[in-house]
Amino acid sequence: MKILLVDDDEFLSDLLTRSLAAYHYVVDTVKDGEMGWTYGSTFDYDLIVLDIMLPRLDGISLCQRFRAEGYTTPILLLTAQDTSTAKVNGLDAGADDYVVKPFDVAELSARIRALLRRSSVSPFPLLTWGDLLLNPSSCEVTYNAKPLTLTTKEYELLELFMRESQHVFSTDEILGRLWSSEEFPSEATVRSHIRRVRHKLLTAGAPSDFIATVHGRGYFLKAADAAQQGTKSDRPTHPQAEYLAFLNETWLAQKAKILTQLTIFEEAIATLDQGTLSPSVQEKAYHAAHKLAGTLGTFGLSQAMTLARQLEQSFAPDSSQPKIIDLVTLLKALQQDLQNRHTLDSFGAIAIPQPSPDTSEQNTKVMIVDDDQHWLKTLPSLLKPWGFKITTLAEPQQFWTVLQSVTPDLLVLDVNMPDMNGFELCQALRHDPRWQRLPILFLSGLTDQSTQNHAFNLGADDYLCKPIMGVDLANRILNRLQRVRAWAT
Amino acid sequence: MTTKRVLIIDDEETIQTVVQFGIRMRAGWQVLTASSGMQGIQTAQAERPDVILLDVMMPEMDGIDTFKNLQSHPKTEQIPVIFLTAKAQTVEKRQFNELGVSGVITKPFNSLDLPDQIAKILRWSLPL
Repeated sequence: MKILLVDDDEFLSDLLTRSLAAYHYVVDTVKDGEMGWTYGSTFDYDLIVLDIMLPRLDGISLCQRFRAEGYTTPILLLTAQDTSTAKVNGLDAGADDYVVKPFDVAELSARIRALLRRSSVSPFPLLTWGDLLLNPSSCEVTYNAKPLTLTTKEYELLELFMRESQHVFSTDEILGRLWSSEEFPSEATVRSHIRRVRHKLLTAGAPSDFIATVHGRGYFLKAADAAQQGTKSDRPTHPQAEYLAFLNETWLAQKAKILTQLTIFEEAIATLDQGTLSPSVQEKAYHAAHKLAGTLGTFGLSQAMTLARQLEQSFAPDSSQPKIIDLVTLLKALQQDLQNRHTLDSFGAIAIPQPSPDTSEQNTKVMIVDDDQHWLKTLPSLLKPWGFKITTLAEPQQFWTVLQSVTPDLLVLDVNMPDMNGFELCQALRHDPRWQRLPILFLSGLTDQSTQNHAFNLGADDYLCKPIMGVDLANRILNRLQRVRAWAT
Repeated sequence: MTTKRVLIIDDEETIQTVVQFGIRMRAGWQVLTASSGMQGIQTAQAERPDVILLDVMMPEMDGIDTFKNLQSHPKTEQIPVIFLTAKAQTVEKRQFNELGVSGVITKPFNSLDLPDQIAKILRWSLPL
């Protein structure tokens, strides 16, 4: 847990930092309101503690600024004024709690814990995962009733994983969440901490992959039941990543050859330019395009595959004479896509097969909230091949009514919508016991890292950027559902 | 379960390579490869694999002819055949079923999922 403390009283800052450290909180301290804004808007904090009387920018204004800019981080105000007007001002400015100086440090810590609990996915004072139990108020951790002796960082790691147990944490993210901005640890530091926690868990009787690795992406707590069964150490936990690496090697080796295969289409176009396309040339091009689409699909290059499919359709024996201009455009686009493709995407982009009826998601209900009507209209047809039951909603005002009646298995939210934004909805859902575990995917035109981090902090399960291909969206939906199911069984 | 032996017949070398890697990695099965219908028939007769993955669209001898040939030969008629095809239209699927193939897997696929798909089609039990 990482806290930003904005207070110009050095003595108090010092005292608070030390007492909060005892509860394993990481504290960044700054001395004026402007610095508070700089830090709070640059780094991710789980909580912000603000003094009201601050140089340069007062605590109330800073609080208002955070809220106006869409930050939902819990804010606790410290003040010397014990009047109800002051309290009302503070709470109206968007603060979540209020403590009057002089205060008891124990009480302040308890309030901080309560605020963190409210914003966390788990509303319970004790965090549990399988046989692992963590008590944030006593800092005790046990596995199967055996106490674990952990260093501060090891404790923080486990707490982070347990609070957001559905989330895969990248090394970078862990650095940002658990180390203060003045330290400059390397990613190797995170890895060595993970190693030590794993070792301690193992000694206590936990499976070796209790904290599982997704190669190239990060770490997460493995679903309790699956973790207990998964004791075979010879099988890699995530073969997908190794498969991807292999695909990458194969792609690099085959790329030149695949590019030369495109000459078949150039020849066909040249023939067509001179007059008519002979059936034999047309058939040759048709077959080549068909093969190419299959190969590109295997590499997960969905866009290139779609282009090859279009070429295939253009050269199909029963289709009318293709237009040269269309063919040239298609071929150019395909060439460019392939030439620019140096590495393959993460394994989430590997195309999945068009589902056969017995594996399709016939009964999976997906609800999509977005104010872009045009996009909403195209989505159901994009996702149709997978058999999801799609409900679209353009008016967030009706969100709760529709949600109740649909009870979706998964929710796709846009970020910016009139009147209500996706972040607020996500946060509200995560505070509602009925919807706490509902998988939420954000789909937005906002591509910056801080917006994405913000979404994850609020409890989002995934974040996708527009524009997106149907196959990619379906893949991410399927991945998410698979993880939820793995967790449930 | 004993190790299975899979024969893939596909004229695309890349597909062969990727399928071989994926199946070995996921299930540890042995994968044999052939680049044409003729070559596939010879390998099938000599090696008697547990299943044949057969690409439908191939030059010279296509998947359907290859399948008919395999069916007509006593050494290979019992081997289950799964078609690999990009075409998922129901019309063609029905046509394939009428031919007597054990199943159809549509391209593109993630090769790591192949053992599960094969096991599902042939009702093999697959260790997790």
